[in-house]
Amino acid sequence: MSKNRCAIATHELTRRFGRKLALDRVSAHVPVGSIYGLMGPNGAGKTTFVRCLLNLINPTSGSATVLGHDVVRDSVAVRRRVGHVAALQPLWEWMTVREFASFMAGCYPRWNPETVSGILSRVGVEPHQRIQTLSRGQRTLASLAVAIGHEPELLLLDEALTGLDPISRREVLRNVIDVMHAEGRTVLITGQDIADMERICDHVGFLIRGQLFWESTLEELKARVKRLRVEHPDGAPAVPPGALRVERAARETQFTVSNFSPALVDSLSAPGLRVEVMDLGLEDIFVDLAQPQLNASGSAQVRA
Amino acid sequence: MRVLVRQHGGPGAAQWYSAMFTPIDPKSAVPIYLQIIEQIRRQVAAGVLAPGDQLPSVRELAQQLLINPNTAARVYRDLEREGLLETRRGQGTYVAARASALAESERKRLVAARLEEAAAEARAFGISHEAVLQLFRDILARRRPARKEER
Repeated sequence: MSKNRCAIATHELTRRFGRKLALDRVSAHVPVGSIYGLMGPNGAGKTTFVRCLLNLINPTSGSATVLGHDVVRDSVAVRRRVGHVAALQPLWEWMTVREFASFMAGCYPRWNPETVSGILSRVGVEPHQRIQTLSRGQRTLASLAVAIGHEPELLLLDEALTGLDPISRREVLRNVIDVMHAEGRTVLITGQDIADMERICDHVGFLIRGQLFWESTLEELKARVKRLRVEHPDGAPAVPPGALRVERAARETQFTVSNFSPALVDSLSAPGLRVEVMDLGLEDIFVDLAQPQLNASGSAQVRA
Repeated sequence: MRVLVRQHGGPGAAQWYSAMFTPIDPKSAVPIYLQIIEQIRRQVAAGVLAPGDQLPSVRELAQQLLINPNTAARVYRDLEREGLLETRRGQGTYVAARASALAESERKRLVAARLEEAAAEARAFGISHEAVLQLFRDILARRRPARKEER
């Protein structure tokens, strides 16, 4: 993918905290116009990745560009064009919502007050309320409102859906869709809210132990990762190399593959065998791909 | 799951009604855009959506179904190419006039898709064509409402 078609492009981005490698040579590509879901277990490095993009922390090595700007050299230009919402991010508790919004408005050359007031009124926040009186969902929505007030080209939602009630979650999703309406806008969402991500993301990346071990469109991921069920009344078939979560019963074997193709089914077919291809949802895909990575001590790449 | 559709119902001007869509299943391997296409086709086949009905804009559809706007755009693009929908510039997206002509073949296609699945299952179990046809005849006979001239 060429660099200027990427809203985010990182090259071997690495960040070390003492002995721990929080990001390990991550080369990620987030296309312009996509909603990209960055998933991974707790502690996988998702937040470190986002913080590097905003130059809130420096990479140990490697590089990253956001909207064509180098994140270290042009961090001001990046911040101006990017909106950022993080779960439980500290806010000025003593400010009223109105003060918070006008304070943030002052940071940007462009500001859309209607966007901000629209969101706040839909989630029942009054402008005169102090931040400290807001519920968790309202706080997230207040952060989101001011994060998109300057009409950013790239919106970074770091665990912003985590722990929200259904109504606040829907309001967040509604606004993501709204942001995407303008041509060439991009959204990066990190988190574990797989059902929501499956619904609105078109690209996915899996980060495990600081390594990006899968990146593709959601469609390609679902087409390539399948669970196969082989019924074999008279003897077990050979399981292809690289098969994941292999489960054997007396006359039936199941396993997950990450390189599915019709040819693979043909190669397994034999007289007396019946092969069934089962589609997997994102959650099952995630577990099947991530589990061996978490168990393994090495850094094997799943991707064929 | 509700999608607003503008229809000519009874007398007077067209109104926006909220049409029922079965919830989208993001877990399905059937991509979301195909799930929605299938639902629109089904509603046209059933006559619930009729020529001249107006569908929401891409942005509204995305918001009503909480899906990626690119997905919503793709639904309309594909259905326009098929001739089921038409977009009038500056006005919106409508069920095309020729949609009712497509409805009949659409109904057959939907049934054929189900039969296709059954046929694959029969092949896998090695059931003969004749036995499958007999099963299907039995099913049809059982489902047919009892009439007086029948025993």
